[in-house]
Amino acid sequence: MANGYHYFETIEKHAGLLGIGIALMVSLGGLAEITPLFVRAQQVAPPENILPYDALRLAGKDVYVSEGCYLCHTQMIRALRAETERYGHYSTAEESIYDRPHQWGSKRTGPDLARVGGKYSDEWQRLHLLDPRKTEPASNMPAYPWLAEKTLDADDIVARMRVLRLLGDPYTDADLAAAPAAVAGKTELDALVAYLQGLGTAFPANGLEPGL
Amino acid sequence: MSTFWSLWIIVLITFNLGLALMLFFWGQRVKVPVLPDGTTGHIWAHGVLRESVRKLPLWWALFSASMFVIGIVYFVRYPGFGAYKGTLEWTSQGELASDSSANLGKLQALLQSYEGQTLAQLAANQEAITIGERLYVDNCAACHGRNALGNQILGTPNLLDDDELHGGDETALMASILNGRIGIMPPIGAAFTPEQVTATAHYVRSLSGLEHDAALAQTGQATFTTICAVCHGAEGTGNPLLGAPNLTDAIWLQANDIASIENLIRNGRTSQMPAWSARLGAPSARLVAAWLYSRQTR
Repeated sequence: MANGYHYFETIEKHAGLLGIGIALMVSLGGLAEITPLFVRAQQVAPPENILPYDALRLAGKDVYVSEGCYLCHTQMIRALRAETERYGHYSTAEESIYDRPHQWGSKRTGPDLARVGGKYSDEWQRLHLLDPRKTEPASNMPAYPWLAEKTLDADDIVARMRVLRLLGDPYTDADLAAAPAAVAGKTELDALVAYLQGLGTAFPANGLEPGL
Repeated sequence: MSTFWSLWIIVLITFNLGLALMLFFWGQRVKVPVLPDGTTGHIWAHGVLRESVRKLPLWWALFSASMFVIGIVYFVRYPGFGAYKGTLEWTSQGELASDSSANLGKLQALLQSYEGQTLAQLAANQEAITIGERLYVDNCAACHGRNALGNQILGTPNLLDDDELHGGDETALMASILNGRIGIMPPIGAAFTPEQVTATAHYVRSLSGLEHDAALAQTGQATFTTICAVCHGAEGTGNPLLGAPNLTDAIWLQANDIASIENLIRNGRTSQMPAWSARLGAPSARLVAAWLYSRQTR
């Protein structure tokens, strides 16, 4: 082992070669940790109780994304007691299967919303979105009054469902046909409330841990 | 995890760790040609800087070696080396389950010691109402307010006054918390003329002695008796079985100006108290009730 100095010398004297060597070694970690997860994510099959978003909730999900709700709210309950006690059962991969992109988020200025569905009444959600100070005087959440003024475009929603079906979401022709009636006359506020009220409700049995 | 991906990870880890370990030993033992002046002959800045040859400091070598040891021990003890589960068989779900069950054991013992106690007794127990308050803040404060004084904009009742929509005993209170309530005031706009709506609003205000037009209130009494009295009672004192509010007291769920009352008569109102049995469970919900009790009697 005492020989072979010229290998070290070559690498030390050629910065580009050193860079390539470092990149190779570092990428080994990524190859080992990340690639198996990419493949595994493709194999997650939705359980029977997790259905693709209906037309109104789908519109609500897009409002959630476009208003940037994920910047302050996560939808990812980690497997830690402090989190499961407050928010319910930890989030599972299957629950995000129809989210494109997933809304796990990474920062909690507000609370986690993964299982907020049904926690408050529709009326509370509406009032809170229009002016959060009316339900919690100390809230620092922005108000979203314009949501109540924007009416949903049925053709647009059907087009989105068509694209999602192309990507593999199991929408039926009947779902597409029923969509315009489901969103007729509804505002973005109605859609967002419907979306929020559905969050985490696919697992009524294990979604929460009573008595904790 | 399939055998392929397990092997994929194992091969990559072994290659990475093995290569790094080899370089670690080789790099320390390789013979570096030394010039008579004790340098490698590499010079910078026209010979001002020269590279001398020294052995690595021992502390550095030991520190690096310990990183290898820690890495290998980790792969033996914890999951990470392909599908191998590690001698500890650690999982985050397992840790959560043992964490939760340890805590649940403590909590259940505590909740059991509260069983059979009345709300009044619990309300005198600082520990019980501390838990109750914490649960209240997380679950109930959003609608009923941090101090349980209700929210007139939302129409949620004040929980500390002596006016109970569904009756004030523990059974009614626990039923409200665990099963939720749905309050329906039907829209009556179609049954009344606009004048009748206004007259009824004046009569409703007269019931609790608020400023009103006496003549209009008298007209309103007739419409009130035919329709509104079905739920609110002939005297307007309400009906706890239906959750119909008492209109004769000074307590208002919502704004009580004429326009607001007219709007309520015309369009009705559906109010909803969500059910909390799944989120809280009865024993914990009683602690919330006990905290409220402690605030009511203060």
